[in-house]
Amino acid sequence: MTPRPIRAAAGLTKMKSSRPIALLAAVLLAAACGGAGETGAGPGQEGERRQLTLITGLKSDEFYITMGCGAMAEAKKLGVDLDVQGPEDFSAPLQIPIVNSVTAQQPDAVLIAPTDRNALIQPMRQMKSAGITTVQVDTTIDDPSIAVSSIASNNEQGGQVAAQTLAELVGDKGKVYVINVKPGISTTDARAEGFINEMKKHPDIAFVGQDYDEDQADIATQKVSATLAKHPDLAGIFATNLIAAEGAATALKAAGKTGDVKLVGFDAGPKQVEDLRNGSLQAVVAQEPYAIGQIGVQQAVKALNGEPTRKQIQTNLVPITAKELESKSRYLYKSEC
Amino acid sequence: MDRPAETDPRPVAARADLEGEPEAGAGETLLSRTLRANSLWIFLVLVVLVLGFSVARPQAFLSPFNIQSIFTNAATLLVVSVGMTYVIVSAGIDLSVGSVLVFSGVVAAKTMTGIGGQDSGWGPIVIGLVVGLLGGLAWGITNGILVAKAHIPPLIVTLGTLGMALGSAQIITGGTDVRNVPVQLTAVLGQGRLLGVIPWLVVIAVVVTIVGGLVLATTRFGRYTYAIGSNTEAARRAGIAVDRHLLKVYALSGLLAGLAGDLSLAYFTTTTIGGHTTDNLSAIAAVVLGGTSLFGGVGTMFGTVVGVFIPAVLGSGFVIIGVQPFWQSVAVGAVLVAAVFVDQWRRRARENR
Amino acid sequence: MVEALLEARNVVKQYGTVRALQGTDFSAYAGTVTALIGDNGAGKSTLVKCLSGVAMPDGGEIFLDGQRILLDSPTSAQRLGIETVYQDLALAYDLDAAANLYLGRELRRPGLLGMLGVLDKAAMRNGGAGALANLGVRLPAADAPVGSLSGGQRQSIAVARAVAWASRVIFMDEPTAALGVVQRERVLEVIRRVRDSGVAVVLISHNMPEVLAVADRIEVLRLGRRVARFAAGDVDVEDLVGAMTGALEASALGANDVEANDVEAGAQTGGEGNTNGGNGR
Repeated sequence: MTPRPIRAAAGLTKMKSSRPIALLAAVLLAAACGGAGETGAGPGQEGERRQLTLITGLKSDEFYITMGCGAMAEAKKLGVDLDVQGPEDFSAPLQIPIVNSVTAQQPDAVLIAPTDRNALIQPMRQMKSAGITTVQVDTTIDDPSIAVSSIASNNEQGGQVAAQTLAELVGDKGKVYVINVKPGISTTDARAEGFINEMKKHPDIAFVGQDYDEDQADIATQKVSATLAKHPDLAGIFATNLIAAEGAATALKAAGKTGDVKLVGFDAGPKQVEDLRNGSLQAVVAQEPYAIGQIGVQQAVKALNGEPTRKQIQTNLVPITAKELESKSRYLYKSEC
Repeated sequence: MDRPAETDPRPVAARADLEGEPEAGAGETLLSRTLRANSLWIFLVLVVLVLGFSVARPQAFLSPFNIQSIFTNAATLLVVSVGMTYVIVSAGIDLSVGSVLVFSGVVAAKTMTGIGGQDSGWGPIVIGLVVGLLGGLAWGITNGILVAKAHIPPLIVTLGTLGMALGSAQIITGGTDVRNVPVQLTAVLGQGRLLGVIPWLVVIAVVVTIVGGLVLATTRFGRYTYAIGSNTEAARRAGIAVDRHLLKVYALSGLLAGLAGDLSLAYFTTTTIGGHTTDNLSAIAAVVLGGTSLFGGVGTMFGTVVGVFIPAVLGSGFVIIGVQPFWQSVAVGAVLVAAVFVDQWRRRARENR
Repeated sequence: MVEALLEARNVVKQYGTVRALQGTDFSAYAGTVTALIGDNGAGKSTLVKCLSGVAMPDGGEIFLDGQRILLDSPTSAQRLGIETVYQDLALAYDLDAAANLYLGRELRRPGLLGMLGVLDKAAMRNGGAGALANLGVRLPAADAPVGSLSGGQRQSIAVARAVAWASRVIFMDEPTAALGVVQRERVLEVIRRVRDSGVAVVLISHNMPEVLAVADRIEVLRLGRRVARFAAGDVDVEDLVGAMTGALEASALGANDVEANDVEAGAQTGGEGNTNGGNGR
């Protein structure tokens, strides 16, 4: 007769084994199905379709999704395969494992938006030494020798455009303030810099300073609320990214100053469009992620074909006010292709 | 006044049988122990994953580069998870590890750049690494004192130090990542390899894991950790200095987070201040995936290793076979919930006896 | 007359405004089973806590072998050879029987490994099996966590642990509560065996027939005071219940042990009629 505790243990094993393994089977099945459609046989072989991978900075972000849409469309047009990957957060520790796995996968070319200008150098060097053609999209690393081409918005110009738009909105006078993301992010820092420099050309506008929100809307709200308390006569705010704009809009709403204090944001995702419509935002500066994706794929394919590429390509930035939502709809970002 | 005479629900005959057959029990000891271990099943999950990805894309998944990448990328999380295993086995929790990691990386980097600069030799680097370890230890001791002596629940204590450590790191750096880390550090510790094959990061993580596993499984320190997690009052009455032991456990977790901060600094060549906000949850998930009970008293280091590698393998494998990145979160989350479900189911089964 | 091995004099313990012990006396004798009985709330468990180092008394004195002792922790009690089987068993349910038997007293490997804290699990397993065999307990698997065992087996382990380490005094707080008939007999047998080895056994029980079956002496607590002492042969269940509930006045109890009064005269607090009893030998 089997002693009881052992029998109990045996019953347990049945339970435990069946569930995770069933789950695993489901996951692998999903993996197999998902994989089958996008990748053919071994990559990089003679006569096969070119394999490209786009590694974005953040997987669930309309900017990068739109970039992926542009890249997808262009890949289809040029007859190459494209796979899109991205980390859960905009951070190097989460992006590097993905970069390494892509390197192991050996596609012909990679489009990447590096999340840190230092930390990604080594993984991208390994990628290059594995024979993978690399194109930088949106952001860059400090080593310019790796990518054959870098496509990005001219963020400093974006800051200028934002400054001009905000100046117009506030009647070219009064106090303005910048809510920025984190120090050290090349894109948002360039936007702030462009904004601040442009405002120096407007003698009646006083720049009262900038704060960082750690890319968290609630922190942006706190900072903007505090600034409103300090400067009750604040005329305008430039928020350097979506989250900063969201936080700032919340603070203005709480203070009952929506529309009185003009708010200019960056990017043109569905959320910003909604905010433009309901008046929380007065204007945004839109990038062209779709074009960045398209051009990235073009440059990668050119490099693979041995054609010359352009080292630096800057895409346009477009100011959009609520009234222009219809006329400039092609600049709005998508949450799916 | 009389108590119910019979609280043992089994019929007398069954009980007699049970006590009359010790050999049967003794003979199945190893088997029963293996079957009882949650980690065995989760290990099989890992094996199946590895086999699945290997069959799907052998050249890519099993390439030396990919295997090395998986290990290197898991190294810092593994070190943190070793400390977390002790904390969770003692029925505690440490949410502060990611922030302590960042803090340690920052103080280490600041020390190195302050006294040596980017081209500094090993002197300033070693001093910086030690400062990083001490920084982690200091936060660990802070956690330990607040948990063991002030009797504040560990969830609250470490939630507090999570914010304090990260905030301190940001105060020290002004929010900007320290980037001019000595080249020697990143070249040797971050990218260098033992005998040109095994990355130093992996060597260090493996040594920490083996030592941590042996101490947990074979020493009095480990035994006390299990006993306290299982029944704190029983441990206290058995004469175990519970408060002092808990202090040591949290100090260990802090120290290992400090070590992970050093490793992370060497690997990423920058302090990655914003990149560790979910490290605490990753470590807790790894430990729990590995069969360690959130209620304490149960768990193995082997399970934790498996728990660290399941997300790592899934992440790498999914990228290689070209699956949408969202699936990874779904898969890891599902396995985690299943693991905790099994743990609770098991406990309920036991308590109903 | 034999001197008490463990003696409490005028022990006071207060929890907030509740005076659980209001100057309680108690004595236990080597090689004797002393039953400590009383209604719920009489202070039995509190007294045991004070005498086993779990709680610090607010007043009074404790003597072991005539020496005044200070019990500030379970460890200090254990060091003096005083062990306790707690009512809640105080076992680590995730550890196996041997680990529980040696909890806080782990054996370490000889040599360097031992200095590093490495446990000698084989020795503990063997020792643990021996201690359990003494109680006639056989476990289905030596390394099964205690929590997976039956209530009776758990209780046996708690008893075995205390028995294994007690060299002077052993307190057993309801040691048979979770046991079946057969195992209960075994534990009572163990209690007698421990007594015969010269240890002072203190049995806390609600089960009057059990008390009468195994105890040599009986001390009765009521409302935080000792109200009566009996030699087991002299009383029946009715007497005990009467003393516990206060229905039986002190004066009505057999006042047949002058010598005990003599011995303990210095310690008596002059309190209400608590001078009855005997050493029951």
